[in-house]
Amino acid sequence: MSTAIASTGFSQEAFDVFLAARDEPAWLVDMRRAAWRRFQELPMPSVRDEEWMRTDIRLFKFDRFGLPDLSSPASSHYVGSPLLSAGVNLGGHAVTLDGQTIAAELSTKWTEQGVVYGSLDALVKEYGERLRPYFERRVVDPFKDKFSALHAATWCGGTLLYVPKKVRVDEPLHALSALSSSGVDLGKTLVILDEGAEATMLSETASTSADGGGLHCGSIELIVEQGARLRYVNLQNWGHEVWHFAHQKAHVGREGRLQWTIGALGSRLAKVNQHVALTGPDAEVQVNGVMFTEGRQHLSYNTHQHHEAPYCKSDLLYKAALQDRSRTVWRGMIKVDRDAQRTDAYQRNDNLMLSRDARADSIPGLEIEADDVRCTHGSTSGRVDDQQLFYAMTRGYTRREAVRMIVAGFFQQVFDRITIESVRDALGEAIGRRVSDIKEFATP
Amino acid sequence: MSDFVLVAKTSEIPDPGQLLVEVGERLVVLIHAAGHWYALDDICTHDGGPLSEGPLDAQSGTIVCPRHGAKFDIRTGAALTMPATKPTMAHEVKIDGDQIFVRLRDG
Repeated sequence: MSTAIASTGFSQEAFDVFLAARDEPAWLVDMRRAAWRRFQELPMPSVRDEEWMRTDIRLFKFDRFGLPDLSSPASSHYVGSPLLSAGVNLGGHAVTLDGQTIAAELSTKWTEQGVVYGSLDALVKEYGERLRPYFERRVVDPFKDKFSALHAATWCGGTLLYVPKKVRVDEPLHALSALSSSGVDLGKTLVILDEGAEATMLSETASTSADGGGLHCGSIELIVEQGARLRYVNLQNWGHEVWHFAHQKAHVGREGRLQWTIGALGSRLAKVNQHVALTGPDAEVQVNGVMFTEGRQHLSYNTHQHHEAPYCKSDLLYKAALQDRSRTVWRGMIKVDRDAQRTDAYQRNDNLMLSRDARADSIPGLEIEADDVRCTHGSTSGRVDDQQLFYAMTRGYTRREAVRMIVAGFFQQVFDRITIESVRDALGEAIGRRVSDIKEFATP
Repeated sequence: MSDFVLVAKTSEIPDPGQLLVEVGERLVVLIHAAGHWYALDDICTHDGGPLSEGPLDAQSGTIVCPRHGAKFDIRTGAALTMPATKPTMAHEVKIDGDQIFVRLRDG
């Protein structure tokens, strides 16, 4: 089921073998080599670093993982049930296993209109020169930290969606990234909506084994050009022993619209940098986050709303429910440049504590250089209200049913913002399944 | 309850002294103070700081988080000063010859 691992660790020798097997354009090879040098130079993030002080990765060891062996094809197909695409009429879908594409398909209806969708690995060879400017934009900074550098040097597999000018793709595209036990996923997602284009992409991750470990070191780059509209959903649903390191960033141009929804349910430890940059006037971005943690999971999200142009709007809402000894860290920043007058920006994080031993750190921040803006933020953390529980029980509900109902109500606010029914259903069902296991509230 | 796990040799830690060790999937600070051995989760319960990097006072039996100065009892893990309010977990230590074993408390 698993893809062979070339060697233990991310060694120079393994990298050279990896590069030699890829047959890519020279400009891309140069980019990879530069990032590899940076990966080798950079130290491991430390709990002394401000960004990492609440996310302890001292137990993570690079030498327990390695680069995939590209000389042997992915050994099997993934048999699993995607959550986001159930009941959806898809325009195309792609599946990767341990970063290697095992299926990619796009309806001829869309290929005829110039839409490109499928394995980034394969398509970068076919459309190298056309894609080069987008790579050279470096939407995600390859030198940000050790993980972004490793990813920029070694990404493989991944998914590309390109929608030409004024083409409206009204059927969602679906991508599933699967990870075998102890596997490595270095996938990169690149979405490009040219001027006036529209599309919806549903992306999700899964492990072949709920208890199997693994490493994801990936990136998502969303480029929404002038007047384009993108709805992007990303459900992180790895097994609970997977290390998840990701850099995700969107560029939204003049009058562009982006609705970006993330669901974070899986992984042992997740450290995600999610940035949106509003680069043209009148751009609008809505970010929705749904997190549910259990056991000893640790999910850390750094969000960044960067207003670079005037008359833009960004609205971020993250909601998390935590049980057992799990922990979430949310650090949000709204950054408004000097020229970004008349900015309207909001960020909010709500946490529902389902256990006395769970912990949520919520750290909103503002950095504003313009003088005519509206920027606000909010954060709440609290336990299930005993009075609400009591009331529900007087109406005939059991304690467990009452807790499930209150948790569902907690997330309703963010579900109401998600306009894709299958996504609402998938997130609601996944969370509902986990809530049913709550022990602390099961008895008075 | 988990088993005792060999984590270090007594010669590796002077008195007073401390050593960061991995026990299963936990980081534990192993402490040698006034002839006794102790093991605590390497986590300050206030802000997650690494206790193994903080100063140890063998006389008073305390270790201090290097971030904000929260003080913990090395025998019980109890939080003795603000800003920590919850104890960090203390684990069982056994010495056999020159070998140090730690058994994790559940939780």
